[in-house]
Amino acid sequence: MPRGEIEGDWVMGWPDRKRAVLNPGKDAQGRVINGRAPITELEGLLTPTDAYYVVNQLEVPEPIHPDDWILSIGGLVERPIEISLKDLQKFPGRTVRAVTECAGNDAGFFDYLQKGGKKPSRINQQDMQARAAMRETNAVPSSVEISNESTTTCAMSAGEFTGVPLAEVLKKVGIKNNAVSVRFQGFDRGQPDLAVQYRSVGRADFKLVDPGVINYEKGMPMAKAMHPDTLLAWSMNGEWLTHIHGAPVRMVTPGWSGNWWVKWLEQIEVLDHLPQCYYQHHYFTYGNAPDDPNKEMITSMGVRCIILNPLDEDSPLQRGPHKIQGRAWSGMGMIKRVEVSVDGGKIWQDAHLEEPVERWLWVRWSLLWEVDMPGSYQILARATDETGRVQPQIPWNYQRKHFDGIVPTDVVVV
Amino acid sequence: MHIVVCIKYIPDPEAAFSMFRIDEQANKVVPASGLKHVVSPFDEQAIEAALRIREQHAGARITVVTLGNELSRNALKHGLAMGADDGVLLDDRALDDGDSYATALTLSAVVKKLGNVDLVLTGRQAADGDAGIVGAGIAELLGIPVVAFAKDVAVAANAVRVERVLDDGTEIVETALPAVVTISNELGTPRAPSLRETMRAARKPVVVWNTRDLGLEVSTVGAAGSRTVRERLFAPIKNSRCEMIEAVTPEEQGAKLAQRLREAKVL
Repeated sequence: MPRGEIEGDWVMGWPDRKRAVLNPGKDAQGRVINGRAPITELEGLLTPTDAYYVVNQLEVPEPIHPDDWILSIGGLVERPIEISLKDLQKFPGRTVRAVTECAGNDAGFFDYLQKGGKKPSRINQQDMQARAAMRETNAVPSSVEISNESTTTCAMSAGEFTGVPLAEVLKKVGIKNNAVSVRFQGFDRGQPDLAVQYRSVGRADFKLVDPGVINYEKGMPMAKAMHPDTLLAWSMNGEWLTHIHGAPVRMVTPGWSGNWWVKWLEQIEVLDHLPQCYYQHHYFTYGNAPDDPNKEMITSMGVRCIILNPLDEDSPLQRGPHKIQGRAWSGMGMIKRVEVSVDGGKIWQDAHLEEPVERWLWVRWSLLWEVDMPGSYQILARATDETGRVQPQIPWNYQRKHFDGIVPTDVVVV
Repeated sequence: MHIVVCIKYIPDPEAAFSMFRIDEQANKVVPASGLKHVVSPFDEQAIEAALRIREQHAGARITVVTLGNELSRNALKHGLAMGADDGVLLDDRALDDGDSYATALTLSAVVKKLGNVDLVLTGRQAADGDAGIVGAGIAELLGIPVVAFAKDVAVAANAVRVERVLDDGTEIVETALPAVVTISNELGTPRAPSLRETMRAARKPVVVWNTRDLGLEVSTVGAAGSRTVRERLFAPIKNSRCEMIEAVTPEEQGAKLAQRLREAKVL
């Protein structure tokens, strides 16, 4: 079905396009606790803050006034400190533009590419309100209910973040020689939402580890922690970081999936080992089965390329010129190449990479497709990053994390 | 044909209860500042009903009318963006805090002033106060028929044919024009304004009238003209008690629960 007419709305009193909005789930007080970005409705590289996807593993905490916020930095450091936001802002700042992507984004495509069946849609069809209601009651869906849900898509966005490189702060406090990792702790606290984890696997017929009430925390290897683009950020998209996105200060960890972007920071601890944080070792992992003894923590994302035009939903297309376009990004650096096939992968052509092409941001790519022959077409796109990685990189894993497969767009030309 | 649709701009009825507080001194519900306002959903369906009639009657004119302050102009803009032709904003502090009667009196005066109105549509009730009286009040004051709870409205040969919702089904009613019809949610989803129509709406006329324009005495409208007295406005206190039914087996637990419910006269 072709896309509908452009919807209108009133913006600042003027007739305008209806702005793309988040598909949210709210708690009983009307507060957003999760949401999916209207990815197919957005132009440009940066996702408006109000439309930025929202995922929280624990309960969203009560806000802390920025003047009352204190970050404690300790562990294997020469001079442990407790630092206010104002003092943190005295460090030399840095701005990074990067994609944030939930580790479970597009998970349903793993199954589609392996087993076929109904193709997940990139047009946002998830009932986030139902998920929010389920979370409020700590309800756990059955395997049947999970299989009937639309799988997670649109848990991806891109933003501009300003803060201070973590490395600058750690240099100031002096890291001891035996430091191996840095543990970040947020002031969000609660019991992990088991429904989220069952949903991630796609079934609910096995037992999960329940750690009780915990703070969200992750332990990052030293090399990534010391990368100059790993930030303690207080600003997003040109304005102060908003509460739902982790204010007053959150981690920005370009290239690594959203679970590393710890929100609502309250504590940083330098350690001589990699800590056994719950989410690091029980949920955000690669593995073959829930009881796989060799689970591996997930870090950088694979190589991603999505087609945003045309969508399956645009079919049938008229003969003539069509602009095939989309976004590409990678967890390990700049996109160097995007190739497109309109015959199911027999012949590939280079797409045009639209400037700017930045290290951590997604790039807009496009290819003009002149189609004269009616028929069915399978359009594919694959990306290559600056490290030479060609999509796909991430194999199936039982929690379906870091999907980076090549998803066909199937259209009929008439 | 001239159709008048009466619409109301209200705090988003989807907003959580916590977004409102009750001012018991003033006997008023106070929405949180910044709370989104929308056209009352039943009124939006009334606009949709008018647009569907116009699709069958080329040349029909649709006027949207709202009573409120300048903020309520947004309601008119929404109606115009959906496709209505012109709007009337009733902006006068004297009209504030009117009850259903005072509102109906004001809106009936608008219909008289517009002249030659064939059909007046309203929502079955405003989604804030939920009284559901204004539509019938307008008809009474104009001395014309009213048909309430419409799920389908069609106009033919100077009459309106309405399928109206009953508790146990629907009935079809026909009456001569002019008439008032109140629209129920069973009408279906109203259309979303298109960008093209929204742009066109920016150039559609909206007139602003006050009490004097309508030829009404200030003492007959708004709070002064209201015939109801709100004695007290308060949030009911909900007392809930949780009783856990203990048993060894689920069957025993179920039996005990049934027995307890019978004792409480729930079953």
